[in-house]
Amino acid sequence: MNESLHPLQFVYVWLRQLQVMTIKELRQLSRDRALLIYIIYIFTLDIVIAAGAINTELNQSKLVVHDADHSAASRELIYRFQPPYFSLVGTVTDANQGLYLLDQGDAMLFLDIPERFAATLGQGERAAKVQLLIDTSKATPGFLASSYSARIMADFSREWASQQLLRAGLEPGSVPIIQNQRRIWYNPTLDEAWYGTLAQLLTMITVACLLLPAAALVREKERGNIEQLLVSPLTPFQVMFSKVLAMILVTLVGTAVSLFGVMQPFFGVPIKGSAPLFFALTALYAFTTAGLGLVAATFARNSAQVGMLVLLMVIPINILSGDRTPLESMPLWLQYLTNVFPLRHFIEITFGILLRGAGLAALWDSVLAMTLLGCLLFALGLWRFRRQFG
Amino acid sequence: MNLKRLLAVAYKEWREILRDRIFFLLAFGLPIVLMLVFGYGITPDVENVPLAFVDYDHSALSRDYAQHYIESRYFNFKGYLHSLQEADGLLTGGKIRVAIVIPEHFQEDLMAGRAVAIQTLVDGANTGPARIIQGYADGINSAASGELQMSYIARHLGISLERAQTIIQPIKLEVRYLYNQEVRILWDVAPSLIMFILLLTAPMLTALSVVREKETGAIYNIYASTISGAEFLAGKLLPNILISFINAVILWLMVTFYFGAPFKGNLLFFFFATLFYVICNSSMGLLISLMVRTQIAALMITVVLGFIIGIQFSGMLTPIAALTGSNYVIAHLFPAMYYNTVIQGAFLKNLGLAALWPEVTLFVAYSAGLLGACYFLFHKRTRT
Repeated sequence: MNESLHPLQFVYVWLRQLQVMTIKELRQLSRDRALLIYIIYIFTLDIVIAAGAINTELNQSKLVVHDADHSAASRELIYRFQPPYFSLVGTVTDANQGLYLLDQGDAMLFLDIPERFAATLGQGERAAKVQLLIDTSKATPGFLASSYSARIMADFSREWASQQLLRAGLEPGSVPIIQNQRRIWYNPTLDEAWYGTLAQLLTMITVACLLLPAAALVREKERGNIEQLLVSPLTPFQVMFSKVLAMILVTLVGTAVSLFGVMQPFFGVPIKGSAPLFFALTALYAFTTAGLGLVAATFARNSAQVGMLVLLMVIPINILSGDRTPLESMPLWLQYLTNVFPLRHFIEITFGILLRGAGLAALWDSVLAMTLLGCLLFALGLWRFRRQFG
Repeated sequence: MNLKRLLAVAYKEWREILRDRIFFLLAFGLPIVLMLVFGYGITPDVENVPLAFVDYDHSALSRDYAQHYIESRYFNFKGYLHSLQEADGLLTGGKIRVAIVIPEHFQEDLMAGRAVAIQTLVDGANTGPARIIQGYADGINSAASGELQMSYIARHLGISLERAQTIIQPIKLEVRYLYNQEVRILWDVAPSLIMFILLLTAPMLTALSVVREKETGAIYNIYASTISGAEFLAGKLLPNILISFINAVILWLMVTFYFGAPFKGNLLFFFFATLFYVICNSSMGLLISLMVRTQIAALMITVVLGFIIGIQFSGMLTPIAALTGSNYVIAHLFPAMYYNTVIQGAFLKNLGLAALWPEVTLFVAYSAGLLGACYFLFHKRTRT
């Protein structure tokens, strides 16, 4: 149809057609008020909510104490379990009562200091035993409580050890010790909001990029609108790519709003690496994920089916890509399998660029994998679409 | 209510589920898939953390020290690096999560009885694991340091290692873990997944089964028939409760046998409570189905609601006690939180009906309330 045109003119017309179609997609989106509110919500309010949703730090763990010794030493030890990690909620007069409180969930830790604790310490003949019972039915706080208690105990123990050493005839400073200087990189204060907001943004971008283009394509199929588009001078590539393009634009604008309008000013999320690189790769991710959605759309006959299909994809992708839990903790076969999820690579890219300040040199493998996936998925979608309507 | 007509609806529903292949797959396949996905995705313990050493000392003692970490199941040793810059590059690229820097003169200083400081550099981008990794490193370091001190003192004073240990560690902390002895996240979260998955699938199945008839127009047959509203609702509900209960049993089997979580409670009581929780959720789906018109809407509402309640307000991931203000109140409005208490009690603590009867009573009351609402909302005549 365009054979008579000069190649440059042909390119111009082709691009113009794509532009018109993309504008049509955007206009369609902007007229669906519910959808528009949803999109605004996921890039703003939802991010704010997510910032306060996760707290992985130990917070006021309830401690109950049984102090059978009533000595200065035992009181000193109890006094070291302080907020914000611990909060002393009570003392009991017999150990069974402590166990009962643990059973009821009214306490998380139970510290049992036996009789003659201070006396044993003073004599230095044998170790003075202290028992700590921890409710680990919640594993993460349980582990942290145990780890922090061990630190408290070690500090306390060290002071008594100095006395013992002097008595044995050794200068405490002359005993070797390996100190652990802990450094947290990329998020020195372990601010939960940095990770929480970024993880939520990625989840929401994924849901939107999968669902919206797929739903748009199926809606055209459902209403028979697609037949009209196909008798027009447009190619199937243009019909499909314009939907992807519209989604890329929405994602870029939304990401910019939530990054510069919400995360940076309110939660201090840093942008350590190159922002243009991040946005370029965000566009690539939107393309890849929208491609996956379009493949799903070619398998569905109506909105209900495409909703179901997207749901079946979006849950495993979000849960298994390492958004919430580190990949290395999963079984090896699953780690290989998650390579086909675009989100897995985009997580590396996002946290790499924004928090760790990584550049292309460190992230080339993720970028390459995502590019390949994107092209493959889009080609597959196009091929199935052509076969259905060509 | 006429039992015969009720059973006819139930039987029709059952046949329909069996014949619709996609729906059948959704009914029995989805819970299994979700259990596998969540089981591996939400719950892994922080293990195999990639770790590298920057050893500036290259001594026998520094290699000994590194061995403590290399042998631990928590870390996955990636090798020795030449410089801090190299560690920086690997941490930035996300190839390792921890780098431990051993300074020059490590061995010399320790042998001379001086204090030495090693550095643990932890990738803090993902805050939760970072805290746990710090805990691991602290534990291993103090064990290694303690061993060293013991042998040093024993050598210098010419006493036994045990005696040296009492001197350097005059207090012995005995930690006992209750209910989850190996402190495995999997054992803590996997049982709760039964709650979460039933919360997602049970309302979804019921809601879809009613809305599907609305969408196809088949519901007009019901409107025109002699079946009463209550009979129709009960007939719809029964097969779906049955399916979800079967799913609950399958999920329980997966949690205990596939993921290996210990079950210490009374099985009969657990399934008794589960049945009522399933009825609660199926009734919730029925209520949703009466308020929406399309399958996609029913699907989205049940899933979104399930995720919000399950993730934020059930006590599965964040303990209820850690919730504040309005979130604390919201959590108490849904049965999920109470069923999570039942699960934690039955799996880890061996609590039975004696301790958990308030929860079960609550499920009954909740179901009755929901079903009552359904009864009043269901009209055989479409509103004009």
